[in-house]
Amino acid sequence: MPEGATSSAFASERLQINQGAEETVRELLRSLLESGKVNAVLALGRTGGPSGGVAYSLFRDPEAFGADGDALPLLPFMPANAGGLLSRLTLEGPVAEPVAAVVKPCELRAFIELVKLSQGNLDNILLISSTCGGVYPLDMGIDGSLEKKLPTYWERMEQGELDDDVRPTCRACESFVPEGADITVALLGEADLDTQCTLHLNTERGAAFAGDMEGTTVSGKRDSEALERSLDERKAFREELFAGVGVGLKDLIHTFGRCIGCHGCKTVCPICYCRLCYFDSQNCERPAGFYEGELARKGGLRVPSDTVYFQLGRMAHMAISCVGCGMCTDVCPADIPVSTMFSKVGAAAQAVFDYQPGRDVTEEIPLRTFEEEEFTEVAT
Amino acid sequence: MSDNGIVLAAEDGVEAAFIGWLKETLNKNIFDALLIPVGTPAGDSFAYLLLQEPAILDSASPLPPVMPVQGGKAIGRLTMRENPSKRIAAVVRPCEARAAIELSKLEQAHLDNVCLITLDCPGVLPLADYLVDPVAGAARFKEASAQWDRSPMRPTCQVCDHFSLRQAPGCDLHVGTLGCPDGTAVVVAGSSKGDHVLEQMDMGGQDEDEQADFLNTAVTDWGTQVEQVEEAQTERRRQAQEDLREEIAGAEKLLGVFSSCINCHNCQRVCPVCYCRQCYFESAALKLPAENYLARAERKGALRFSPDTLLFHIGRASHMALSCVSCGACEDACPMDIPVGQVFSLLGDRAQKALGYVAGTSLEDPLPLVSYEMDELHEVEQPYVEVYPNQEVQDA
Repeated sequence: MPEGATSSAFASERLQINQGAEETVRELLRSLLESGKVNAVLALGRTGGPSGGVAYSLFRDPEAFGADGDALPLLPFMPANAGGLLSRLTLEGPVAEPVAAVVKPCELRAFIELVKLSQGNLDNILLISSTCGGVYPLDMGIDGSLEKKLPTYWERMEQGELDDDVRPTCRACESFVPEGADITVALLGEADLDTQCTLHLNTERGAAFAGDMEGTTVSGKRDSEALERSLDERKAFREELFAGVGVGLKDLIHTFGRCIGCHGCKTVCPICYCRLCYFDSQNCERPAGFYEGELARKGGLRVPSDTVYFQLGRMAHMAISCVGCGMCTDVCPADIPVSTMFSKVGAAAQAVFDYQPGRDVTEEIPLRTFEEEEFTEVAT
Repeated sequence: MSDNGIVLAAEDGVEAAFIGWLKETLNKNIFDALLIPVGTPAGDSFAYLLLQEPAILDSASPLPPVMPVQGGKAIGRLTMRENPSKRIAAVVRPCEARAAIELSKLEQAHLDNVCLITLDCPGVLPLADYLVDPVAGAARFKEASAQWDRSPMRPTCQVCDHFSLRQAPGCDLHVGTLGCPDGTAVVVAGSSKGDHVLEQMDMGGQDEDEQADFLNTAVTDWGTQVEQVEEAQTERRRQAQEDLREEIAGAEKLLGVFSSCINCHNCQRVCPVCYCRQCYFESAALKLPAENYLARAERKGALRFSPDTLLFHIGRASHMALSCVSCGACEDACPMDIPVGQVFSLLGDRAQKALGYVAGTSLEDPLPLVSYEMDELHEVEQPYVEVYPNQEVQDA
C-alpha cells in the first residue's frame, strides 16, 4: 500500500457532527427508518432477551436504534461475516427499496467480492462502514468478557491503538479503512468519540442519505497520522504472525492433523458460497474398496480421509478472493489458525495478480480475465 | 452376552495388554485391518486410522482423552457404500459403536465385516479444554479415568449411562475394566461374531479349569461394578435432565439457549447420525427472495439474519432425536459453548422413551419411524377438547 494510502479511500467531503459516534450512527439509522428512506437496516443487535447473544438482524422498527434499543451497530464483534448475509439477502435479485447495512471493512469486501462472483446484488444497498479497530474473538462473546472490554476498546480506539485482545487476524489486517462504502464513520484515532463524530460521505448516495444529519460539511483531503501509524503497526504484526505459520505440505499435515472435519471454516467463510461443497458431495463418498486400496498402498490411512486435501482444495478455490476476515479461525473447534494460513497463501496469490479482493466492484476477478502475455515463466 | 471370554493382564497396564492382543488378531489373520484412534503427527490430538501393520499399533490409543471425530462417523465413511471385503475390527467407545449400529439401521453403514470392539468408557475431556495444553490434558484424563472420576469430562459424559456392554449390548466384543484389579481386564463377546473371534484367539496351553475360574470371578466382579455405576449414572442423568428441562422448556427459553448460535452448523456436521449429504437448512429451499425476508422483518419489527436459527435446531432434533446416542460431539464442536449436546440428549431420551426405543443398542430392533404398531401412543389421539378442557372457549 503506497504512502498515505489509508486516506485514499475517503472522498473529499465529510460531515462533522457534535455528538458521539455511537449516538450519531443510531440517530442516522433511526431517522432513515422513520422517514422510510430505507426499508430495513442490517446491523448487529441483541437476541434472545437480556441474557441472550448477539446476532445480525434486519431491523425494521426504528426503536431498535433508540438509546435502549436492541441494535448494537458498532459492537466490535463478528458472529457472522455480514458480506455473506448481504449475499443471502440479494441472491435472488436486488432489493426493491433501499436497505442500509452497517458492516466492517472485511464484510464489505466480502460482499463486493460475492457480487463479482454473481452471488449478490449491490443495487439499493446503502453501505455504512467505519475505520475498524478489529473485533473480539467469538469466545469473548460467550462469557460476558466482551462487554467488560468495551471501555478499554473505545479508549484505545481514540488513541489510534488496537486492544491486545482483538483477534490476531484483526491486528494483522492492513485493510481496515473501508473502500467502496457510501458512508464511512471515522472511529480509529478520532479524539472524543463520545462527543464528536465525523462521517465521510464517499458517494452521492451516501451524501443523499446522510444529508439530513445536523453538522458541518467540510471539504478537502484529510490525512490521518493515526491511520498511517496503525497501518505500520499492523503490517509489523502481520509479518510476525505470518512468519509463525508454515504453509508447506508438511506444515499443513502437521497443523491440520487435529482438524475434526466439521468444515465450519467453509460454512462461515463468506467467499465459500457453494451450496454443496465438493468435499461434502457424493464424489467424496467412497466405496470401501477405495479405502482398502489406499490401505494396501500406504499401510495405514486416516478415516474420514481428505483432511488436508479439503483444506488445499478450499484454498485453491477461494484464496484469490480471501478477504482475511478471520471467521474460519474464530469458528474452529480445534483451534487451528486457519485464517492466518489462508491469508498468507491468499496474499501471495493475490500479489501475483495484483488483485485485492473486494476493493472495487468493477475490477475483474483474475480467474475470469485472460491475458495473452502472463506467466510465461511457467509456460516453458 | 455369551460365557466366552478372556482375561487380559500385563504389568505395564491394560492398554498395553489390549494392544498386544490386537496385534495378535492381526498376526493370526483374524482381522485384516483395524480402525483405531492414533496420535496425530503433531502429537496434539487423535484421529481414526485404518491400519494393517501391527507395528503402527504402538502409537494407537484405544481410549484417547478426547473424541475429535465420532467413531461411528468414521465407520460410516468407511462402509457407507458397501460391506468392506476385508474383516475390519473397529475399536471405539460405546456411544461410537451405538452410532455405527444406528447408521447401519439407517442404511448408512455396512457392518457385516466389521467387528465392533468397545471398552468401558470413563468419558472424554471437552476438546477445547484438552487443546489448550494436550500434555496436561492427557495427564488430567489419565488421573481422572483411573478413578472413574467424571468431573473433568464433557457434560454429556458426566451423565452418560451407556458406558459399558451392559447398556450397549450391540457390540461384538467388549473390554471390561471396571471392578477389575489394576492391570487386568476381561474381554467378553456381545455377539456370535465376537464369540467366533474369541474362539479363534483361544491360545490354549494353560490350565483350562483354573483359567475358567479366574475368568468367572473377574466377569462377575466386573458385572457387579458396572451395575453399581449404572445406577449412580442413571440418577445423575435424571437429575441433570430435570434441571436442564427447567432451563430450556418453552419457546422463549429455547430461543435464549440458541440466541448466540452463529449458524455454523458444526453440530450437524459432526453428528454421527445426521447423515444427510445436504441438510435441508443449507439447501435451496431456504434461499428466498429478499421480499420474503423484508416482509418478515416488517411483521416482527426485526428479523434475525440469517433467519431460522431455532428452526434449524428444532428441525435437526426432530430428524435425529430418535437416533441420538448422546455422544456430545455436537457440543464439542460448538464455537459458542451452547449446551447443544445436553439439550439433544434430553430430547432424544424423551423421544426414545416415548417409543420404547434405545438408539444403537441392537441391530435387530426396528427404527421406530419405520415400524408400525396398531396399538401405540393413544394419549395423543385424545381429542383436543379432552386434553385442554375449556381451552376452546378461551381461544374463541
